[in-house]
Amino acid sequence: MIGPSRVAELDMPAAGIETGAARPAQSYWNESWERLRANRIGIAAGLLIVLFALIAIMAPLFSFALTHYQPQTINLDETFIRPGLRHLLGTDELGRDTLTRLIWGARVSLGVAFLTVAMSLSVGTTVGMVAGYYGGWTDDVLMRLVDTVLAIPAIFLFILMSILFRPNAFTLAAIVASVGWGSVARLVRGEVLSVKQRDFILATRSIGARDARLMVRHLLPNVLPVLIVAASLGVGQIILIEAALDFLGLGIQPPTPSWGNMLTNAQSYFFRSGFLVAFPGLTIFVTVLASNIFGNAVRDAFDPRLKS
Amino acid sequence: MPETAVKHLSRAWTVNDPLVSVSDLKVWFPVASGMMQRTVGHVHAVDGVDLDIKAGETLGLVGESGCGKSTLGRTVIRLIEPTAGTVKFKGEDITHVRRGHLRALRREMAMIFQDPYASLDPRQTVGDIIGEPIDVHGLAKGKERQERIRELLRVVGMNPRYADRYPHEFSGGQRQRIGIARALAVEPTLIICDEPISALDVSIQAQIINLLENLQSKFKLTYLFIAHDLSVVKHISNRIAVMYLGKIMEIAPGGQLYKRPRHPYTGSLLSAIPIPDPKIELRRERMILQGDVASPVSPPSGCRFRTRCPRAREHCAEEVPPLEAFGDEHKAACFYPLD
Amino acid sequence: MTQPLLEVQDLHTVFSTKDGLVKAVDGVSFELNPGETLGIVGESGCGKSVTALSIMRLQRPGRIVGGKVMFKGQDMTRISEYEMREIRGREIAMIFQDPMTSLNPVYRVGWQVAEPTRLHHGWDAKRALASAVNMLGRVGIPSAAARARDYPHQFSGGMRQRVMIAMGLTTTPQVLIADEPTTALDVTIQAQILDLLRHVNREFGTATILITHNLGVVAGMCQRLMVMYAGKIVEAGPTADVFANPKHPYTWSLLRSIPRLDAERHEPLKPIEGLPPNLVDLPNGCAFHPRCVFRVERCQRDVPSLLQVGDTQRAACWVTQAGTELKGA
Repeated sequence: MIGPSRVAELDMPAAGIETGAARPAQSYWNESWERLRANRIGIAAGLLIVLFALIAIMAPLFSFALTHYQPQTINLDETFIRPGLRHLLGTDELGRDTLTRLIWGARVSLGVAFLTVAMSLSVGTTVGMVAGYYGGWTDDVLMRLVDTVLAIPAIFLFILMSILFRPNAFTLAAIVASVGWGSVARLVRGEVLSVKQRDFILATRSIGARDARLMVRHLLPNVLPVLIVAASLGVGQIILIEAALDFLGLGIQPPTPSWGNMLTNAQSYFFRSGFLVAFPGLTIFVTVLASNIFGNAVRDAFDPRLKS
Repeated sequence: MPETAVKHLSRAWTVNDPLVSVSDLKVWFPVASGMMQRTVGHVHAVDGVDLDIKAGETLGLVGESGCGKSTLGRTVIRLIEPTAGTVKFKGEDITHVRRGHLRALRREMAMIFQDPYASLDPRQTVGDIIGEPIDVHGLAKGKERQERIRELLRVVGMNPRYADRYPHEFSGGQRQRIGIARALAVEPTLIICDEPISALDVSIQAQIINLLENLQSKFKLTYLFIAHDLSVVKHISNRIAVMYLGKIMEIAPGGQLYKRPRHPYTGSLLSAIPIPDPKIELRRERMILQGDVASPVSPPSGCRFRTRCPRAREHCAEEVPPLEAFGDEHKAACFYPLD
Repeated sequence: MTQPLLEVQDLHTVFSTKDGLVKAVDGVSFELNPGETLGIVGESGCGKSVTALSIMRLQRPGRIVGGKVMFKGQDMTRISEYEMREIRGREIAMIFQDPMTSLNPVYRVGWQVAEPTRLHHGWDAKRALASAVNMLGRVGIPSAAARARDYPHQFSGGMRQRVMIAMGLTTTPQVLIADEPTTALDVTIQAQILDLLRHVNREFGTATILITHNLGVVAGMCQRLMVMYAGKIVEAGPTADVFANPKHPYTWSLLRSIPRLDAERHEPLKPIEGLPPNLVDLPNGCAFHPRCVFRVERCQRDVPSLLQVGDTQRAACWVTQAGTELKGA
């Protein structure tokens, strides 16, 4: 009770500035980046995600130059081959190369994840910002809408949507985002409500700035840290959701490979070849773990308050 | 656009008229309660205020927390919408002007805030903070804009090199200087100073007071100086208005208010302020008020101050005392004034 | 000469921050006599609060790295935490600046005021509550018995500060440390609380250490005062003498820089130039020298110690110790 306030009294702003001995100008972003860079494990996890993303983007190149197979090429002569030199991670029941399918599957899994995060963030931020900034009935209407969206059982919505639309990466992302934006909107609204109270918002209004300027130039940069944290923690979560949907047959349909639907197939052949389950499972596990570690690192770096 | 707006404003108004004229101003905030957030009452923050601010003067506005002084200041420059009454600026009723026109008005009025930590956007550089009013009103671009920012920093006594630094690198007093530079950027006529020094260290307060005084004479500014510290207000103001629970209790030139307060509230406020001189302080007669300020949600009938007033009689509960003249420029709202 | 009640000798308290070691209290010595009110004045970060907290051993995360705090023949910096708890709240009570956060919102006020006597005197709930109600009445809370059943949020700021004072007094301590007790309050409420503190001092004979940044408050409350700057006492003496004839340039400039209600004419204030010191990176020599109008060459080199200057005062200043009078336009 006593401790923190006393330290605050001591924590004098850099008064040394007049003497010219001050440290170089550092923006919040620079400082956060420095903190993130200092976190080795977090950076390693982030690099792994980037690596996976690069592989996904260059999937055609990889299947041409590295594995020499196409993801949907069936070769009934080479079914259930164990990992080896010909097929680095073996083949499935139709003789398709597992590594090639994992690489192409990464396009779906990661693509859907990033797309979903982008969509829920942009919709959620807009809604949350407008609701929080204008308040009053605008806030009431938008937040009731968010309540409604968050009250619909997600799995029911997924089933319904996958019947109505043929799921591809884009529609799947849209479906998951249609639920995900609600919590982002709530998060952003909460931040906006607290930032809005600060005098610099009033100060900016007092010089005649328009609402749009206030939202884009002042509110957005101040809620950005929570958005970045939400985004980096969201990726792993969405990879899991997407894999689950694929596994249930509600997501990406075979023969297009995805990490989730590879597992669906593999369950029938679990005892013939455990590798068919192990490799996609392991890939999902590693990717989600890396995203979570990276997300936590980002949170610690950008929002030191939350650090436990 | 700003040019014509200003011209339009100054029609029929002369320098001898009050710069700002507030009449019967009321600002009520709804109090919501319960699950449905129904309005159950109103905070009578400002409740029928008449006030003139003369061009070039400093009008001090004192009162204790919750008396409505900040709300009044913000309503004068239309940062808060009044519930009733009018605000005239340079003779023009600005209570209901349209948004576009309000933007033009924003060039004439600026505000300085109490908390130098909360009033600067932590994600902006000092240059961007000071440059924002310049951008918003399209006053300068590119090199000229940079030069203006540097000039403003020099005017408030800061090194122009600090333009690319961030607010967190500065002490409270320096931040307050940055806030003052931002206020000056639009070249305003009126500045609302909302407790500009009460968050600062004692040894820094005098620096900022002197800066405000120098800027006033240099740029012919008019100040509405809001504070709870009567000694600071008396130092800087030509006239002082004393507020209590949303109403003006007394208004007079500073010296007169100190020498001969008429309202019992002013009297007790003056006697409550410690004077840094033991010889005087130990011999002073004190008029210590009983109890706390009444709730602004249901203010007392009649005189707002009667619940704590040592001189209150029955009549005070029945009728609201009007602001009556007690000599030149001295007005007080009390049925049983001090001699 | 009476025996001092509390004696602080060469106290050093430090804080480790990410920018370096902060000497918040840097060799502070003073004594508190029975029944007197001693003022400690200074700006934020000067170490006045940390000094008080160190006396109570509540300075954490700071560390006391040197010095003694003698109270009733024992050094409070060396006794066990158990013995310290026996002193805290029983022999020495403390009230804080923010009465809003000093009370626990989930307990009734009477219960909280009764807690010290239950804890220290082992009184049963009934007896403790009765004494708490009595004390609440004595500090000026109307219908104390009824208000004791209320929760803190039902009290105004001034009333909460009264509650805090009542809580401090239930065990009839010998020393009351008031850390900026009126800073968060409005002036008319401040006047009420200061009046109450004067009354407490007279009626209970409690020796009081009043910590404040407000020179006016000290002028009306304290017989003696100490001025702190950058962790050190720069001037000490009887209040009347220090105000009439300050012997340290900081005190001298501070008194001239504040606007006075009783000023006859409008004169420009004479501010202290520069910024408050950065405790992580203090200047060499006297910490005040960069802002001092009287500084001589030696001030930049050597740290002055607190020595007798004049009949009743002590000051840590090379200039006044050499006999120079502080005068200026």
